[in-house]
Amino acid sequence: MALNFDIRRSEYVTNPVLRYIGYGVIALLLSVVHVVFLRFMQVSSVTPDLLLILTVFIAIFEGQFTGMIAGFLCGLLFDVVSTDVIGTNALAKTVAGFVAGYFYRENHGMQFVGSFNFLLVVALSGFFHNLIYSFFFIKPMQVSFWLFFLQYGLAATLYTTVAALFLMLYVNRRRD
Amino acid sequence: MRGLIEFVVRYRNYITLSTLVVMSFSLMSIGNLSDLGGFRAVIVGSIGWIQSAFSWIPNPVALKSENTALRELNLQLAVEVARSRQAIVENATLRNLLRLPQYTDYGLIAADIVGKTTTEQRNYATINKGKADGVREGMSCINDAGLVGIVIGASDHYAVLELLINRDTRVSAKVLRTRVDGVIQWEGENILVLKNVPRSLDVQRYDVIVTSSYSSKYPANIVIGKVSSVEDEPNSLFHRVVVQPSVNFSTLEQIFVVDARPDPERINLERKIDEPARPKQTP
Repeated sequence: MALNFDIRRSEYVTNPVLRYIGYGVIALLLSVVHVVFLRFMQVSSVTPDLLLILTVFIAIFEGQFTGMIAGFLCGLLFDVVSTDVIGTNALAKTVAGFVAGYFYRENHGMQFVGSFNFLLVVALSGFFHNLIYSFFFIKPMQVSFWLFFLQYGLAATLYTTVAALFLMLYVNRRRD
Repeated sequence: MRGLIEFVVRYRNYITLSTLVVMSFSLMSIGNLSDLGGFRAVIVGSIGWIQSAFSWIPNPVALKSENTALRELNLQLAVEVARSRQAIVENATLRNLLRLPQYTDYGLIAADIVGKTTTEQRNYATINKGKADGVREGMSCINDAGLVGIVIGASDHYAVLELLINRDTRVSAKVLRTRVDGVIQWEGENILVLKNVPRSLDVQRYDVIVTSSYSSKYPANIVIGKVSSVEDEPNSLFHRVVVQPSVNFSTLEQIFVVDARPDPERINLERKIDEPARPKQTP
């Protein structure tokens, strides 16, 4: 089934319940991958945010409302597994889903994700996500907010956008 | 009511955003591991278990940075070890020096060697104590091993010593065991020679040589060294007594200036009587 998975005609696409369950499973897997395996992709302590890409993906496919809920739940999940302060990632990813939801066009999700516009939306959402996250992350530290954001926030945004490129290319190829 | 429903439907995204933001802040206010109790602990424990299960996979980037950090640490530790070794040696030296005042009747002024000069086999050392500290020209210098030299010049805060291993140095000395007198003179490198010892007198290897009370420059009974060999030179009436200085001049760092100067009355009297025949160097 997996080998012949057709993303356009699959039951996973047409049945919303199965789709949402699929999003949940993917979110769980990505959060574990993030915590366990992303250290291999770490560059100067910066890693791509896979759950942010998923949030943007859901917001573009399902709309702003679902994107925000998905962002909140993905962030909450990440807060739990990463031992971060619970609520920081939830807030940041809610805002990211809200921003990405503005680019929702019904039944045009595949075209959008398979284009470079998807990368721009990931970059824009990542920017707001990291802006909010940096603010709460450095709050208990004696570090300049802007210095931290420019050093790590923008780098994380760029890295996440680069990681989203693989999803874009994959969807683009499937679409063709 | 209908208006309210229409309002909620119309602005549901903003209302949802506001609600989620408020929920996030609420969670942040209680958000630490202990407040959430066992649930999060179970999650963290599970993640830790998964992480440990995959910990065998090497991470080249982390290994490289770890290697760099370990190299830096290794360098720092090597420097620390060198410092510790130096401190141990210095500590031992200072402990010996601290014991010295118990065995001498003279007042002692502790000083550090801050410079050494060698000019045509004339070895001098500069110390960091001077007239302001009570150091005066003509005072002898010793350390825990024995005689070091004599102060030949002093400024307010520094003084220059003529070391025992100096071509111009002459020290009136005696063999501690047999009280045989002679004059100590440096013959280069690390060799002192006790001169003017007739062949008929008893001097043996390992005899201790100390300063004589005949000396007008040095206090009596300060160790100079040990006899390392006794040679009988052909066509000579005297022994050639080679003495190994007890002070290691190559590692000399701390000394004491003996707060005692030659009695001027004695020097004047001796000078007055011996004026016509007095040699240039007084032992």
